[in-house]
Amino acid sequence: MEQKKQTYQPRTLETNLPFSWKRLFFQWEWMLLLILIAVLLLGSYVSPYFLNYPSLRDGTMVFLDKALIVFPMAMIMIMRDIDISVGSTVALSSVVMATLYTSAGLPMEVAIIACLATGAICGLINGLLIVKFKELSAVIVTLGTMILYRGIAYIILEDQAAGGFPEWFGFFGWGYVFGIPFLLIVFAALALLFGIVLHKTTFGRKVFAIGNNPTASRFSGIKVDKVKVIVFMLAGLLAAVTAIFLTSRMGSTRPNIATMYELDIIAMAALGGVSTAGGKGRVLGVVIAVFIIGYLQYGLGLINLPSQIFLIIVGALLILSVAIPKLGGMMKRK
Amino acid sequence: MTNEFVLEMKGISKAFPGVKALNDMQFQLKKGEIHALMGENGAGKSTFIKIITGVHQPTEGEMLLVGEKVSFQNPKQAQQHGIAAIYQHVTSYPDLSVTENIFMNHEIRHQVWKTLNWREMHKQARQLLRELGSSLDPKAQMNTLSVAQQQIVEIAKAISTKAKIIIMDEPTAALTARESEELYRITEKLRDEGTSIIFISHRFEDMYRLASRVTVLRDSNYIGTWDVEDISNEKLIVAMVGREINQIFPDKKTSAGETVLEVKNLCKLGEFEDISFSIKSGEILGMTGLVGAGRTEVCQAIFGITAFDKGEILLSGRSIRNKNPQAAMNNGIGYLAEDRLDQGLLVDWSIEKNITLANLSDLSSFTWIHRDKEKRQAKEFGEKVHIKATSIFDSVNSLSGGNQQKVAVAKLLTKELKVILLDEPTKGVDIGAKAAIYEIVQQLAEAGYAVLFVSSEMPEILGMSDRILVLKEGRIAADFVNRGITQEMILEAAMGEEQVQEKSG
Repeated sequence: MEQKKQTYQPRTLETNLPFSWKRLFFQWEWMLLLILIAVLLLGSYVSPYFLNYPSLRDGTMVFLDKALIVFPMAMIMIMRDIDISVGSTVALSSVVMATLYTSAGLPMEVAIIACLATGAICGLINGLLIVKFKELSAVIVTLGTMILYRGIAYIILEDQAAGGFPEWFGFFGWGYVFGIPFLLIVFAALALLFGIVLHKTTFGRKVFAIGNNPTASRFSGIKVDKVKVIVFMLAGLLAAVTAIFLTSRMGSTRPNIATMYELDIIAMAALGGVSTAGGKGRVLGVVIAVFIIGYLQYGLGLINLPSQIFLIIVGALLILSVAIPKLGGMMKRK
Repeated sequence: MTNEFVLEMKGISKAFPGVKALNDMQFQLKKGEIHALMGENGAGKSTFIKIITGVHQPTEGEMLLVGEKVSFQNPKQAQQHGIAAIYQHVTSYPDLSVTENIFMNHEIRHQVWKTLNWREMHKQARQLLRELGSSLDPKAQMNTLSVAQQQIVEIAKAISTKAKIIIMDEPTAALTARESEELYRITEKLRDEGTSIIFISHRFEDMYRLASRVTVLRDSNYIGTWDVEDISNEKLIVAMVGREINQIFPDKKTSAGETVLEVKNLCKLGEFEDISFSIKSGEILGMTGLVGAGRTEVCQAIFGITAFDKGEILLSGRSIRNKNPQAAMNNGIGYLAEDRLDQGLLVDWSIEKNITLANLSDLSSFTWIHRDKEKRQAKEFGEKVHIKATSIFDSVNSLSGGNQQKVAVAKLLTKELKVILLDEPTKGVDIGAKAAIYEIVQQLAEAGYAVLFVSSEMPEILGMSDRILVLKEGRIAADFVNRGITQEMILEAAMGEEQVQEKSG
């Protein structure tokens, strides 16, 4: 039999996507923007003191401290994990800082460094436990450390408050730079930094890859465990940064501060479009979601509505945020 | 009208928005017949199956069951009419017992108390399994069983629903030669008892061994139905592919160079023992053996996924120790995983991001990824392996199995490798794509890579390899130079003499 070598018609692969209006507007972020506008309008309707620049500006000081943790939390959720110990980490870092300053008499600068170190170590412990004990899910591990860290905070300070920080320390919570709250500047800088890291760098690509398929990622040469430990450590570190801002704003600390912070943070990330099944999410969406939930809380606080109402609204928003893309998908299929 | 046919489909078409998934399908299934259904991936087989099982409703045409017109609105109705399907990826409940899997959705209840009658279910499950010639424990948990055993449970389930028509979708894809033989036996037994079977497979040997007739689909169209006795291999390939494949295996024109990879006395307790071999540059070393013989384990130990207890790996004479896959790749060893969906690819991602995943550090400065470089590399390597797609942004799960495999290969090529370990590279891909993958493997060898080609399929091991390594129970049972070697010789080494005689007798 005469044998002929097979030939394939050469194929070229397109490397440019044609412009598409649908792709531009069919994004979750537009939806979030509409919700944010609705929240602002609602706020101006219920309170005349809500919708003006100084009010909106100073309102950010109330909710942006915990929102700093939302960036590493988004990374964690993209990797199909979760960290519910961040609220306790805030409390422990804050208590360590306050105790070192007030009881041990160390300089405040040293106390702040110790606070950051505490947070990072808490995150490192979470990360190592999750990586070493693969049969344990992240929710169980961090549930354990959530109770543990809070417990240590209570042992250090007992059920008391510690305060009396130097005057300059108040700058974190109340300071302005060129008329803009320092906290808002820090938040914006972190948003930019995390946006770049997550969407433009190899590290961010690896985070998404792990969330998409951890095994295939490992087989492709990604050090999955290393990436996970780093991200959990980042969450702990940012929790400590939050502790600094929160303690500064309140002027004192107690072991029970930042209770339930983890829920607000997870809600912000989920509403922002971070998939709880992993592999999806964008920093831009998360930032808008932070302001939606933050201003909602702030606006309701202005008119002295009970906080339960806020919880109901956030819960409803969360369910909607999960349901709407699904509904869209169903409509497309019909 | 006579009821010669238990199932008859006339002019069945199915259109999805924008796509015609099945066009004017004709199909007749006799009672007690094994009817093979063949076609490349994406030819419309799954759509056809989904219509029979009530998952999809046809847009045109009619379906007759024992002469009566039926239309199924949902899978439950199809099940009630005695139609059952067994899929390639077993859709069982892994954490439940065999009995629970068999009786899922049609549990036996106690006559008075209406509680679940476990004793009766276990008894019947044992009985069903025994009829199939299996001595599986009905109380065993499903995920402790091998794929072959799980399939037997699925078949038992089908029988327990009193199915008259059983559809088997690539049941032999994950089975070894011996397990396939067992499945053939069970399938023939079912046929002899009057069950009609639609058997889908890419393996020609399955069809020749089992089926009396074969129906071929191509590009959503019905091509024809033939008696298996009357159709030749070549004619069947032309029917399936639409063109002649003159030669499935490429010509060998490489001469081996220097020894690149040397594995010495590799041991891992309970998995493999005393594995020694070497591969030269430009050489294809075939590795075969039954599933469970330790082939994948050896590959993964070399690639640094799992650790090994004893032994040494030398690359160009230098001893290396791969702590993890990244170290292995940096040392010049690449691994194409057996399970491309779970271990090889990020199926929701684009072709581009999959290709560049292993090589991000070369495409970035200070970890910042240069998108232009990335696109260029994806295009270059995607075209090199002839991925059939419109753009590098197409998602991998929109591709056929063969093209997905090409993406996985392209990813390996982005690294500077000397050794490529291919673990079942053609598993579950159609004949046209197989030929394309063989071509790529041959090109790799020509480009100077040392290639380890692991496969369960004898024809491709014989067609591709320069030398053949046969593993048996974690040890090297034979090391052949591929000249005058026959399938029987390999089987003999892989299974031991007695079993081969048993088979041929």
